[in-house]
Amino acid sequence: MKARILVVDDDEALSEMIGIVLRNDGFEPTFCADGAQALDMFRSTRPDLVLLDLMLPGMDGIEVCKAIRGESDTPIVMLTAKSDTSDVVRGLEAGADDYVPKPFKPAELVARVRARLREGEQRAPETLKIADLSIDVAGHQVTRGDSSIPLTPLEFDLLVALARKPWQVFTREMLLEEVWGYRHQADTRLVNVHVQRLRSKVEKDPENPQVVLTVRGVGYKAGQA
Amino acid sequence: MTEGPASVPEQAEADSSGLGSRARDAAGTVRRAVHRRWAASLQLRTVVITAVLTMVSAAVLALFLTQQITSGLFQSRFDQVEAESNRGLSTARSIFGNSVSSDPDDTVQLVEDTLNSLAGQTGATVGRDLLLIPIEQSQNLYVGTRTTNNLDAGVIPEALAQAVQDGTGTYWQSISLPDSGGGTNPGLAFGTRVTLPPGNVYALYMVYDLSSVQQTLDYLMRVLVVAGAMLVMMNSLIAVYVTRSVVRPVSQAALTAESLSSGDLSVRMPVHGEDEMARLGTSFNRMADNIQDQITQLAELSQIQQRFVSDVSHELRTPLTTVRMAAEVLYDSREDFDPVNRRSTELLYHQVERFQALLADLLEITRFDAGAATVAAERTDLLHLAADVVLTAQPLASKADTEVFLVPSGTDVTAEVDPRRIERIVRNLINNAIEHGEGRPVDVILGSDEDSVAIIVRDHGIGMSAEQASRVFDRFWRADPARARTTGGSGLGLSIATEDTRLHHGRLDAWGEPGEGSAFRLTIPRRSGDAVGEGSPLQLPPVYTEDQRRRPTDIESTEPAGTAGLVLPDRVHEQALVRRPPETPTEEVR
Repeated sequence: MKARILVVDDDEALSEMIGIVLRNDGFEPTFCADGAQALDMFRSTRPDLVLLDLMLPGMDGIEVCKAIRGESDTPIVMLTAKSDTSDVVRGLEAGADDYVPKPFKPAELVARVRARLREGEQRAPETLKIADLSIDVAGHQVTRGDSSIPLTPLEFDLLVALARKPWQVFTREMLLEEVWGYRHQADTRLVNVHVQRLRSKVEKDPENPQVVLTVRGVGYKAGQA
Repeated sequence: MTEGPASVPEQAEADSSGLGSRARDAAGTVRRAVHRRWAASLQLRTVVITAVLTMVSAAVLALFLTQQITSGLFQSRFDQVEAESNRGLSTARSIFGNSVSSDPDDTVQLVEDTLNSLAGQTGATVGRDLLLIPIEQSQNLYVGTRTTNNLDAGVIPEALAQAVQDGTGTYWQSISLPDSGGGTNPGLAFGTRVTLPPGNVYALYMVYDLSSVQQTLDYLMRVLVVAGAMLVMMNSLIAVYVTRSVVRPVSQAALTAESLSSGDLSVRMPVHGEDEMARLGTSFNRMADNIQDQITQLAELSQIQQRFVSDVSHELRTPLTTVRMAAEVLYDSREDFDPVNRRSTELLYHQVERFQALLADLLEITRFDAGAATVAAERTDLLHLAADVVLTAQPLASKADTEVFLVPSGTDVTAEVDPRRIERIVRNLINNAIEHGEGRPVDVILGSDEDSVAIIVRDHGIGMSAEQASRVFDRFWRADPARARTTGGSGLGLSIATEDTRLHHGRLDAWGEPGEGSAFRLTIPRRSGDAVGEGSPLQLPPVYTEDQRRRPTDIESTEPAGTAGLVLPDRVHEQALVRRPPETPTEEVR
């Protein structure tokens, strides 16, 4: 089954072009040109992934991102023209999983989309322990005691990557490769923001993390089970 | 007063620089500390100089006064005692001369009486004694040496005795009289020749003790010294007070100016009254107001410009993305086109890529100009960085049929740098070298010393003249305008490299020789925040032999396994510059 992708961008030419590329690579795109309607479109089409332009008429891309994240774990990839400004961090903090800076190559866009969809990935049944959490990898479940903690697929992947090798200290670059699928070094802000988001969900006290530990000057590692 | 403080430190400096000897190092340190203190405090200088000058002028004044008083006092006493002694001596002479006694006892009695009466008859407040000494020793001396008050005949100097013996007048001389304590008192001796019966010649002296005059003088001296000391002290205190009242506002102005120049634009000087200091304060504050206004205005302008650039970037990037994607889609299916359309598609694709690179470089330069660029420094091994860049440049190198070698020299080439920026510099230099290397090998030489690390990229291509080398970092400058347009690059690469180097407080220089090739040297400080000086660990042009060359793959293989995942970043738009066009046959890098 073709993965459905909602493209939210006010530039019709670019939307159409993205549509052509996505269709070429076997995806099924739908389009929305207005930020104010993006959420309705999202609800009606239930896409597998959202491509979201940050600068939109009607409703700001950041707001759209927050609204979608508020009701769904669907991966969100931002399209941004301002890779060097705080917009990227604001977008990531609003819940976006990744971003593609304009101008991008078709292959790059498709690679980002595929990395977030993890098409055809079958996970073996496996249970991991990290700090006082247990992770059911195949069932996509994280539980503390009896209560389940909802995570987005990205946050789940991040937690699993850390939990699989509890002895390993992960640099941000290693996590970018493992979780986001970047072969070259990319923006380490992705890791920083998402570790913060993950901590806010899994840590009892995010100020004093026990699950995802910071190794000063190096990166992160899993808390002892 | 104004010249004093300036001239004295100079002298002190000359003194301290004269102390070259190692043995005097400690003394030199103290001197330097004093000198620093001296040079730093206007107040100290003013007070010390006032004290010294007051002391000198008081001393001169005291000297003059003492001299005047001494000579005045002495003269009046002298006149008095001279008249007295003349009178007394001539009285004695006539008494003795008129005596006709031929009896020794009578003569002795006469002498005794006369001397005693003369000694007692003193109108002056000074004591006087008489002394009668026979000039010739003869058998029938009725009277020997006679004195009043046991005066010792030895107090009469030889010269006076001689004068009295030879002449007939009255002679005088200053003498010193022994006092009871073993010291001496000043005195005056008057002498004349007298004749006593039976015709013997004697010298008669009147000796005046001037110790009371000396006491008066001593007292005066003491008063003068005390007055002088008080004057020096009072003047110093006045100097302290006056300089304090002048220096305080001045040092306040200095403090204010310092904080203003260090960036605190809101500081102002307090203004009291309407004197010169108040005027200084008012105009200083007005100047500060103007500076603040100007800077605020400039900052606003810069912000507007940055926002504009940011907006332009967004507006341009969206259509460019569309064009680029379209070009790539067309390019991927170019095999289906006829030759004309295929070539057109290829041109479109490459030129869009170039346009994008140009836009990216332009935006990067604008970011530098706006001062928005920052350094994210981390400890980086530049050998691995360079090896990685060489590997990344391999496609371009193969296309130009150029071999790129590394020449590591120096053991430790790590430095605290922003790896993304340094990598961009090195990549720019290597791409440049490949472009202008005419297929001959390009060498990347690394070197280091204690404080800095250097990388030279050397090609053996067409080279350049010294004049060209000096202009090579100018924006959009091209050595050969006719041919350069056909090769890629925006013309901003070296300008961006210069800006990146400047951010690291490093230095980028170029060397070239037509026909010999050219070399670009990057020197950066080892520790972030330091700045490189004039020197560099590597000389330009570099000196090395061909067997020092290493292939980048050899360097990579020695890298510790743990950091293998840490290879350096390649920003997407920059990668486009060195991206291997798909029509180039793939070649495995060994």
